[in-house]
Amino acid sequence: MPPSPPGAGGPLSGRSLVGGLLVGLGVAAFVDETVFHQLLHWHHFYDRSTSDVGLVSDGFFHAGSWLATVAGLFLYADLRRRGGLLRPAWWSGVCLGIGGFQLYDGTIQHKVLRLHQIRYGVDPAPYDWTWNVIAVLFLAAGAALWLRARRARAKAHAGGARP
Amino acid sequence: MTAAVAAVAVSAALCCALYTYAAGLLRRRGDTWARGRDAVCWLGGAVLVCSVAVPWGSYLPPFTAHTVAHLGAGMVAPLLVVLARPVTLALRTVPVAVRRGLVALTGTGAVRFLVLPPVAAVIDVGGLWLLYRAPLPAGVHHSPLLYAHLFTAGTLFAFSVLALDPLRHRPGLPLRAGTLLAAAAAHSVLARSLWAAGPPGTAYTAADLHLASQLMYYGGDLVEIAAAVVMAHQWYRAEGRALYRYRRRTPSPVTAPVTAPVPPPPPAP
Repeated sequence: MPPSPPGAGGPLSGRSLVGGLLVGLGVAAFVDETVFHQLLHWHHFYDRSTSDVGLVSDGFFHAGSWLATVAGLFLYADLRRRGGLLRPAWWSGVCLGIGGFQLYDGTIQHKVLRLHQIRYGVDPAPYDWTWNVIAVLFLAAGAALWLRARRARAKAHAGGARP
Repeated sequence: MTAAVAAVAVSAALCCALYTYAAGLLRRRGDTWARGRDAVCWLGGAVLVCSVAVPWGSYLPPFTAHTVAHLGAGMVAPLLVVLARPVTLALRTVPVAVRRGLVALTGTGAVRFLVLPPVAAVIDVGGLWLLYRAPLPAGVHHSPLLYAHLFTAGTLFAFSVLALDPLRHRPGLPLRAGTLLAAAAAHSVLARSLWAAGPPGTAYTAADLHLASQLMYYGGDLVEIAAAVVMAHQWYRAEGRALYRYRRRTPSPVTAPVTAPVPPPPPAP
Protein backbone atom coordinates (compact mmCIF):
# COMPACT_ATOMS: atom_id res chain seq x y z
CA MET A 1 0.00 0.00 0.00
CA PRO A 2 1.48 3.40 -0.88
CA PRO A 3 2.02 5.66 2.12
CA SER A 4 -0.72 8.19 2.52
CA PRO A 5 -0.21 11.96 2.67
CA PRO A 6 1.43 12.84 5.93
CA GLY A 7 -1.06 15.50 6.94
CA ALA A 8 1.50 17.96 8.17
CA GLY A 9 -0.55 20.77 6.64
CA GLY A 10 -3.56 20.48 8.96
CA PRO A 11 -6.39 18.24 10.07
CA LEU A 12 -7.47 15.36 7.83
CA SER A 13 -11.25 15.60 8.02
CA GLY A 14 -12.03 12.74 5.61
CA ARG A 15 -9.73 10.32 7.33
CA SER A 16 -11.02 11.37 10.77
CA LEU A 17 -14.56 10.73 9.57
CA VAL A 18 -13.68 7.26 8.26
CA GLY A 19 -11.82 6.40 11.45
CA GLY A 20 -14.81 7.42 13.55
CA LEU A 21 -17.21 5.56 11.27
CA LEU A 22 -15.28 2.31 11.72
CA VAL A 23 -15.20 2.72 15.51
CA GLY A 24 -18.91 3.62 15.54
CA LEU A 25 -19.81 0.44 13.62
CA GLY A 26 -17.79 -1.57 16.11
CA VAL A 27 -19.38 0.12 19.14
CA ALA A 28 -22.91 -0.45 17.83
CA ALA A 29 -22.21 -4.11 17.08
CA PHE A 30 -20.55 -4.57 20.46
CA VAL A 31 -23.51 -3.06 22.34
CA ASP A 32 -25.90 -5.19 20.30
CA GLU A 33 -23.91 -8.32 21.09
CA THR A 34 -23.29 -7.76 24.81
CA VAL A 35 -26.46 -5.97 25.91
CA PHE A 36 -29.16 -7.55 23.76
CA HIS A 37 -27.72 -11.01 23.13
CA GLN A 38 -25.73 -11.77 26.28
CA LEU A 39 -27.17 -9.65 29.12
CA LEU A 40 -30.87 -9.23 28.32
CA HIS A 41 -31.17 -12.40 26.19
CA TRP A 42 -33.73 -10.52 24.08
CA HIS A 43 -32.04 -11.42 20.80
CA HIS A 44 -31.62 -15.05 19.89
CA PHE A 45 -28.44 -16.62 18.54
CA TYR A 46 -30.47 -18.44 15.92
CA ASP A 47 -33.98 -17.87 14.64
CA ARG A 48 -35.43 -20.59 12.42
CA SER A 49 -37.29 -18.06 10.27
CA THR A 50 -34.01 -16.43 9.18
CA SER A 51 -33.39 -16.49 5.44
CA ASP A 52 -30.02 -17.62 4.05
CA VAL A 53 -29.34 -14.06 2.89
CA GLY A 54 -29.96 -12.96 6.47
CA LEU A 55 -27.36 -15.39 7.79
CA VAL A 56 -24.78 -14.21 5.27
CA SER A 57 -25.56 -10.55 5.91
CA ASP A 58 -25.19 -11.12 9.62
CA GLY A 59 -21.94 -13.04 9.09
CA PHE A 60 -20.41 -10.12 7.20
CA PHE A 61 -21.66 -7.56 9.70
CA HIS A 62 -20.52 -9.60 12.65
CA ALA A 63 -17.02 -10.23 11.28
CA GLY A 64 -16.83 -6.78 9.72
CA SER A 65 -17.66 -4.95 12.92
CA TRP A 66 -14.75 -6.54 14.79
CA LEU A 67 -12.34 -5.85 11.97
CA ALA A 68 -13.73 -2.29 11.68
CA THR A 69 -13.08 -1.69 15.38
CA VAL A 70 -9.47 -2.81 15.06
CA ALA A 71 -8.95 -0.75 11.90
CA GLY A 72 -10.67 2.29 13.42
CA LEU A 73 -8.51 2.24 16.55
CA PHE A 74 -5.28 1.96 14.57
CA LEU A 75 -6.48 4.73 12.26
CA TYR A 76 -7.13 6.89 15.34
CA ALA A 77 -3.61 6.23 16.63
CA ASP A 78 -2.20 7.12 13.23
CA LEU A 79 -4.23 10.36 13.06
CA ARG A 80 -2.98 11.38 16.49
CA ARG A 81 0.60 10.58 15.50
CA ARG A 82 0.51 12.73 12.39
CA GLY A 83 -1.47 15.53 14.04
CA GLY A 84 -4.36 15.12 11.60
CA LEU A 85 -7.21 14.32 13.98
CA LEU A 86 -10.22 16.60 13.56
CA ARG A 87 -12.33 15.78 16.61
CA PRO A 88 -15.78 16.90 15.35
CA ALA A 89 -15.24 14.88 12.17
CA TRP A 90 -14.21 11.83 14.17
CA TRP A 91 -17.24 12.08 16.47
CA SER A 92 -19.46 12.68 13.46
CA GLY A 93 -18.14 9.40 12.06
CA VAL A 94 -18.84 7.62 15.35
CA CYS A 95 -22.47 8.83 15.39
CA LEU A 96 -23.01 8.02 11.72
CA GLY A 97 -21.50 4.56 12.25
CA ILE A 98 -23.71 3.80 15.24
CA GLY A 99 -26.84 5.21 13.59
CA GLY A 100 -26.16 3.54 10.24
CA PHE A 101 -25.54 0.15 11.81
CA GLN A 102 -28.59 0.38 14.01
CA LEU A 103 -30.87 1.52 11.19
CA TYR A 104 -29.61 -1.29 8.93
CA ASP A 105 -30.01 -3.80 11.76
CA GLY A 106 -33.46 -2.51 12.68
CA THR A 107 -34.90 -2.30 9.17
CA ILE A 108 -33.12 -4.69 6.79
CA GLN A 109 -31.82 -7.35 9.18
CA HIS A 110 -34.73 -7.53 11.64
CA LYS A 111 -37.63 -6.85 9.28
CA VAL A 112 -36.68 -7.72 5.70
CA LEU A 113 -34.27 -10.61 6.30
CA ARG A 114 -36.00 -11.63 9.55
CA LEU A 115 -32.71 -12.41 11.28
CA HIS A 116 -34.34 -12.19 14.69
CA GLN A 117 -36.72 -9.82 16.45
CA ILE A 118 -35.65 -7.29 19.05
CA ARG A 119 -37.67 -9.04 21.72
CA TYR A 120 -39.76 -12.20 21.69
CA GLY A 121 -43.10 -12.86 23.33
CA VAL A 122 -44.24 -9.23 23.11
CA ASP A 123 -45.56 -6.99 20.37
CA PRO A 124 -42.32 -5.93 18.63
CA ALA A 125 -43.75 -2.71 17.10
CA PRO A 126 -42.88 -0.28 19.96
CA TYR A 127 -39.42 -1.81 20.22
CA ASP A 128 -38.89 -1.46 16.48
CA TRP A 129 -39.98 2.18 16.56
CA THR A 130 -37.74 3.02 19.52
CA TRP A 131 -34.82 1.20 17.91
CA ASN A 132 -35.12 2.97 14.57
CA VAL A 133 -35.90 6.41 15.98
CA ILE A 134 -32.75 6.20 18.11
CA ALA A 135 -30.86 5.22 14.95
CA VAL A 136 -32.19 8.26 13.09
CA LEU A 137 -31.28 10.53 16.02
CA PHE A 138 -27.71 9.22 15.89
CA LEU A 139 -27.60 9.88 12.14
CA ALA A 140 -28.88 13.43 12.68
CA ALA A 141 -26.27 14.04 15.38
CA GLY A 142 -23.61 12.74 13.01
CA ALA A 143 -24.75 15.08 10.25
CA ALA A 144 -24.76 18.07 12.64
CA LEU A 145 -21.27 17.22 13.84
CA TRP A 146 -20.10 16.93 10.24
CA LEU A 147 -21.28 20.49 9.54
CA ARG A 148 -19.37 21.60 12.62
CA ALA A 149 -16.31 19.68 11.42
CA ARG A 150 -16.44 21.50 8.09
CA ARG A 151 -16.54 24.86 9.88
CA ALA A 152 -13.63 23.76 12.12
CA ARG A 153 -11.64 22.68 9.09
CA ALA A 154 -12.29 25.95 7.27
CA LYS A 155 -11.19 27.82 10.41
CA ALA A 156 -8.04 25.69 10.71
CA HIS A 157 -7.12 26.34 7.08
CA ALA A 158 -7.80 30.06 7.46
CA GLY A 159 -5.69 30.05 10.63
CA GLY A 160 -2.89 28.22 8.83
CA ALA A 161 -2.89 30.74 6.00
CA ARG A 162 -2.59 33.73 8.31
CA PRO A 163 0.98 35.10 8.38
CA MET B 1 -2.49 -42.37 23.05
CA THR B 2 -2.73 -43.64 19.53
CA ALA B 3 0.14 -43.74 17.06
CA ALA B 4 -1.23 -40.76 15.14
CA VAL B 5 -1.37 -38.61 18.28
CA ALA B 6 2.17 -39.66 19.17
CA ALA B 7 3.31 -38.79 15.65
CA VAL B 8 1.79 -35.29 15.92
CA ALA B 9 3.39 -34.74 19.35
CA VAL B 10 6.85 -35.97 18.29
CA SER B 11 6.91 -33.99 15.04
CA ALA B 12 5.71 -30.82 16.78
CA ALA B 13 8.44 -31.18 19.44
CA LEU B 14 11.09 -31.85 16.77
CA CYS B 15 10.02 -28.82 14.70
CA CYS B 16 10.08 -26.53 17.75
CA ALA B 17 13.51 -27.86 18.82
CA LEU B 18 14.81 -27.30 15.30
CA TYR B 19 13.42 -23.76 15.38
CA THR B 20 15.17 -22.97 18.65
CA TYR B 21 18.42 -24.48 17.34
CA ALA B 22 18.23 -22.34 14.21
CA ALA B 23 17.42 -19.20 16.20
CA GLY B 24 20.43 -19.98 18.42
CA LEU B 25 22.65 -20.25 15.33
CA LEU B 26 21.50 -16.79 14.23
CA ARG B 27 22.11 -15.25 17.64
CA ARG B 28 25.60 -16.79 17.92
CA ARG B 29 26.32 -15.29 14.50
CA GLY B 30 25.47 -11.90 15.99
CA ASP B 31 22.09 -11.45 14.29
CA THR B 32 19.06 -10.48 16.31
CA TRP B 33 16.06 -12.79 16.48
CA ALA B 34 13.52 -11.83 19.12
CA ARG B 35 13.09 -14.40 21.89
CA GLY B 36 9.34 -13.84 21.73
CA ARG B 37 9.33 -15.63 18.38
CA ASP B 38 10.79 -18.77 20.00
CA ALA B 39 8.08 -18.44 22.62
CA VAL B 40 5.20 -18.21 20.13
CA CYS B 41 6.61 -21.14 18.16
CA TRP B 42 6.67 -23.37 21.26
CA LEU B 43 3.29 -22.06 22.37
CA GLY B 44 1.85 -22.89 18.94
CA GLY B 45 3.31 -26.39 19.10
CA ALA B 46 1.93 -26.86 22.61
CA VAL B 47 -1.56 -25.71 21.57
CA LEU B 48 -1.50 -28.12 18.62
CA VAL B 49 -0.43 -31.08 20.78
CA CYS B 50 -2.96 -30.22 23.51
CA SER B 51 -5.75 -29.96 20.94
CA VAL B 52 -5.02 -33.44 19.62
CA ALA B 53 -3.79 -35.29 22.70
CA VAL B 54 -6.05 -34.08 25.51
CA PRO B 55 -9.15 -36.30 25.73
CA TRP B 56 -11.60 -33.39 25.51
CA GLY B 57 -14.41 -35.91 25.08
CA SER B 58 -14.11 -36.97 28.71
CA TYR B 59 -14.94 -33.46 29.94
CA LEU B 60 -17.23 -32.13 27.24
CA PRO B 61 -20.04 -33.42 25.03
CA PRO B 62 -18.63 -35.01 21.84
CA PHE B 63 -19.21 -32.29 19.26
CA THR B 64 -18.11 -29.53 21.64
CA ALA B 65 -14.97 -31.56 22.34
CA HIS B 66 -14.33 -31.71 18.61
CA THR B 67 -14.86 -27.94 18.35
CA VAL B 68 -12.28 -27.24 21.06
CA ALA B 69 -9.71 -29.30 19.17
CA HIS B 70 -10.78 -27.68 15.87
CA LEU B 71 -10.27 -24.15 17.27
CA GLY B 72 -6.93 -25.03 18.86
CA ALA B 73 -5.41 -26.97 15.98
CA GLY B 74 -7.01 -25.08 13.12
CA MET B 75 -6.92 -21.46 14.31
CA VAL B 76 -4.89 -20.69 17.45
CA ALA B 77 -1.86 -22.91 16.75
CA PRO B 78 -1.49 -21.78 13.10
CA LEU B 79 -1.63 -18.10 14.06
CA LEU B 80 1.07 -18.59 16.71
CA VAL B 81 3.30 -20.61 14.40
CA VAL B 82 3.01 -18.04 11.60
CA LEU B 83 3.84 -15.24 14.06
CA ALA B 84 7.16 -17.05 14.68
CA ARG B 85 8.10 -16.39 11.01
CA PRO B 86 9.50 -19.90 10.36
CA VAL B 87 10.24 -19.34 6.66
CA THR B 88 12.31 -16.22 7.36
CA LEU B 89 14.30 -18.15 9.94
CA ALA B 90 14.83 -21.05 7.53
CA LEU B 91 15.97 -18.75 4.73
CA ARG B 92 18.50 -17.11 7.04
CA THR B 93 19.99 -20.26 8.55
CA VAL B 94 20.01 -23.11 6.01
CA PRO B 95 23.09 -23.69 3.80
CA VAL B 96 23.22 -21.72 0.58
CA ALA B 97 22.36 -24.68 -1.66
CA VAL B 98 19.24 -25.47 0.36
CA ARG B 99 18.31 -21.80 0.45
CA ARG B 100 18.49 -21.63 -3.35
CA GLY B 101 16.21 -24.64 -3.52
CA LEU B 102 13.81 -23.04 -1.06
CA VAL B 103 13.73 -19.76 -2.96
CA ALA B 104 13.18 -21.62 -6.23
CA LEU B 105 10.36 -23.54 -4.58
CA THR B 106 8.62 -20.35 -3.44
CA GLY B 107 8.85 -19.09 -7.02
CA THR B 108 7.07 -22.06 -8.59
CA GLY B 109 3.59 -21.55 -9.96
CA ALA B 110 1.96 -24.03 -7.60
CA VAL B 111 3.29 -22.36 -4.45
CA ARG B 112 2.51 -18.89 -5.75
CA PHE B 113 -1.03 -20.02 -6.48
CA LEU B 114 -1.51 -21.65 -3.08
CA VAL B 115 -0.36 -18.60 -1.13
CA LEU B 116 -2.73 -16.23 -2.94
CA PRO B 117 -5.00 -15.11 -0.07
CA PRO B 118 -8.34 -16.00 -1.73
CA VAL B 119 -7.04 -19.44 -2.73
CA ALA B 120 -5.73 -20.16 0.77
CA ALA B 121 -9.03 -18.96 2.24
CA VAL B 122 -11.05 -21.24 -0.04
CA ILE B 123 -8.86 -24.20 0.89
CA ASP B 124 -9.14 -23.45 4.61
CA VAL B 125 -12.76 -22.37 5.04
CA GLY B 126 -14.03 -24.36 2.04
CA GLY B 127 -12.52 -27.48 3.60
CA LEU B 128 -14.39 -26.66 6.79
CA TRP B 129 -17.69 -26.35 4.93
CA LEU B 130 -17.02 -29.76 3.33
CA LEU B 131 -16.20 -31.21 6.72
CA TYR B 132 -19.46 -30.05 8.29
CA ARG B 133 -21.82 -30.06 5.34
CA ALA B 134 -20.77 -33.00 3.14
CA PRO B 135 -21.67 -36.57 4.10
CA LEU B 136 -18.41 -37.96 5.48
CA PRO B 137 -17.72 -41.33 7.15
CA ALA B 138 -18.54 -41.49 10.85
CA GLY B 139 -15.67 -40.84 13.24
CA VAL B 140 -13.86 -38.47 10.87
CA HIS B 141 -14.59 -35.59 13.25
CA HIS B 142 -12.40 -37.14 15.92
CA SER B 143 -9.47 -38.36 13.85
CA PRO B 144 -6.03 -36.86 14.66
CA LEU B 145 -5.34 -36.80 10.92
CA LEU B 146 -8.25 -34.40 10.54
CA TYR B 147 -6.66 -32.04 13.06
CA ALA B 148 -3.35 -32.32 11.21
CA HIS B 149 -5.21 -31.25 8.08
CA LEU B 150 -6.94 -28.36 9.90
CA PHE B 151 -3.57 -27.20 11.22
CA THR B 152 -1.97 -27.31 7.77
CA ALA B 153 -4.83 -25.47 6.10
CA GLY B 154 -5.00 -22.91 8.92
CA THR B 155 -1.26 -22.30 8.69
CA LEU B 156 -1.47 -21.79 4.94
CA PHE B 157 -4.27 -19.28 5.46
CA ALA B 158 -2.53 -17.34 8.25
CA PHE B 159 0.74 -17.39 6.28
CA SER B 160 -0.85 -15.94 3.15
CA VAL B 161 -3.16 -13.43 4.83
CA LEU B 162 -0.66 -12.02 7.33
CA ALA B 163 2.28 -12.21 4.88
CA LEU B 164 4.83 -11.88 7.69
CA ASP B 165 7.35 -14.10 5.92
CA PRO B 166 8.91 -12.86 2.68
CA LEU B 167 6.68 -13.71 -0.26
CA ARG B 168 7.35 -12.99 -3.87
CA HIS B 169 4.71 -10.47 -5.01
CA ARG B 170 3.33 -9.92 -1.52
CA PRO B 171 -0.34 -9.09 -2.01
CA GLY B 172 -1.51 -5.66 -0.88
CA LEU B 173 -3.31 -4.89 2.34
CA PRO B 174 -6.79 -4.40 0.78
CA LEU B 175 -6.77 -7.91 -0.71
CA ARG B 176 -5.45 -9.49 2.49
CA ALA B 177 -7.90 -7.62 4.73
CA GLY B 178 -10.81 -8.33 2.38
CA THR B 179 -9.93 -12.02 2.39
CA LEU B 180 -9.79 -12.07 6.18
CA LEU B 181 -13.21 -10.41 6.30
CA ALA B 182 -14.75 -12.88 3.84
CA ALA B 183 -13.20 -15.89 5.58
CA ALA B 184 -14.33 -14.64 8.99
CA ALA B 185 -17.86 -14.10 7.68
CA ALA B 186 -17.97 -17.59 6.14
CA HIS B 187 -16.69 -19.05 9.40
CA SER B 188 -19.34 -17.28 11.46
CA VAL B 189 -22.16 -18.26 9.07
CA LEU B 190 -21.07 -21.91 9.24
CA ALA B 191 -20.80 -21.74 13.04
CA ARG B 192 -24.26 -20.21 13.36
CA SER B 193 -25.80 -22.78 11.00
CA LEU B 194 -24.40 -25.62 13.14
CA TRP B 195 -26.68 -24.39 15.93
CA ALA B 196 -29.68 -25.66 14.00
CA ALA B 197 -28.26 -28.66 12.13
CA GLY B 198 -25.19 -30.77 12.86
CA PRO B 199 -23.04 -32.39 10.15
CA PRO B 200 -25.06 -34.81 8.01
CA GLY B 201 -25.00 -38.40 9.19
CA THR B 202 -24.28 -37.46 12.80
CA ALA B 203 -26.67 -37.47 15.74
CA TYR B 204 -25.29 -35.01 18.28
CA THR B 205 -27.72 -33.74 20.89
CA ALA B 206 -29.19 -30.25 20.47
CA ALA B 207 -27.48 -29.00 23.66
CA ASP B 208 -24.11 -30.23 22.35
CA LEU B 209 -24.64 -28.54 18.98
CA HIS B 210 -25.69 -25.26 20.61
CA LEU B 211 -22.61 -25.15 22.82
CA ALA B 212 -20.28 -26.14 19.97
CA SER B 213 -21.83 -23.62 17.61
CA GLN B 214 -21.39 -20.72 20.02
CA LEU B 215 -17.86 -21.83 20.90
CA MET B 216 -16.91 -21.89 17.22
CA TYR B 217 -18.63 -18.52 16.63
CA TYR B 218 -17.08 -16.56 19.49
CA GLY B 219 -13.79 -18.48 19.56
CA GLY B 220 -13.34 -17.77 15.87
CA ASP B 221 -13.95 -14.08 16.60
CA LEU B 222 -11.08 -13.96 19.07
CA VAL B 223 -8.58 -15.45 16.64
CA GLU B 224 -9.82 -13.25 13.79
CA ILE B 225 -9.45 -10.14 15.97
CA ALA B 226 -5.90 -11.20 16.81
CA ALA B 227 -5.13 -11.62 13.10
CA ALA B 228 -6.66 -8.20 12.39
CA VAL B 229 -4.51 -6.60 15.10
CA VAL B 230 -1.38 -8.11 13.53
CA MET B 231 -2.43 -6.82 10.12
CA ALA B 232 -3.33 -3.34 11.38
CA HIS B 233 -0.05 -3.13 13.25
CA GLN B 234 1.83 -3.90 10.02
CA TRP B 235 0.02 -1.00 8.36
CA TYR B 236 0.66 1.28 11.35
CA ARG B 237 4.39 0.56 11.27
CA ALA B 238 4.61 1.04 7.50
CA GLU B 239 2.79 4.38 7.80
CA GLY B 240 5.12 5.37 10.63
CA ARG B 241 8.19 4.65 8.54
CA ALA B 242 6.76 6.64 5.60
CA LEU B 243 5.95 9.53 7.94
CA TYR B 244 9.45 9.44 9.41
CA ARG B 245 11.04 9.55 5.95
CA TYR B 246 8.76 12.41 4.91
CA ARG B 247 9.52 14.45 8.02
CA ARG B 248 13.24 13.93 7.60
CA ARG B 249 13.04 15.15 4.01
CA THR B 250 10.75 18.13 4.59
CA PRO B 251 10.56 19.41 8.16
CA SER B 252 6.94 20.30 8.83
CA PRO B 253 6.11 23.92 9.67
CA VAL B 254 4.91 22.80 13.09
CA THR B 255 8.13 21.16 14.20
CA ALA B 256 10.54 23.43 12.32
CA PRO B 257 12.71 25.68 14.51
CA VAL B 258 11.54 29.25 14.77
CA THR B 259 13.71 31.39 12.53
CA ALA B 260 12.26 34.77 13.47
CA PRO B 261 14.78 37.04 15.19
CA VAL B 262 14.71 36.76 18.94
CA PRO B 263 13.92 40.13 20.57
CA PRO B 264 16.89 41.53 22.49
CA PRO B 265 16.70 41.18 26.28
CA PRO B 266 15.44 44.25 28.11
CA PRO B 267 18.27 46.53 29.19
CA ALA B 268 19.38 46.09 32.75
CA PRO B 269 18.31 48.97 34.99
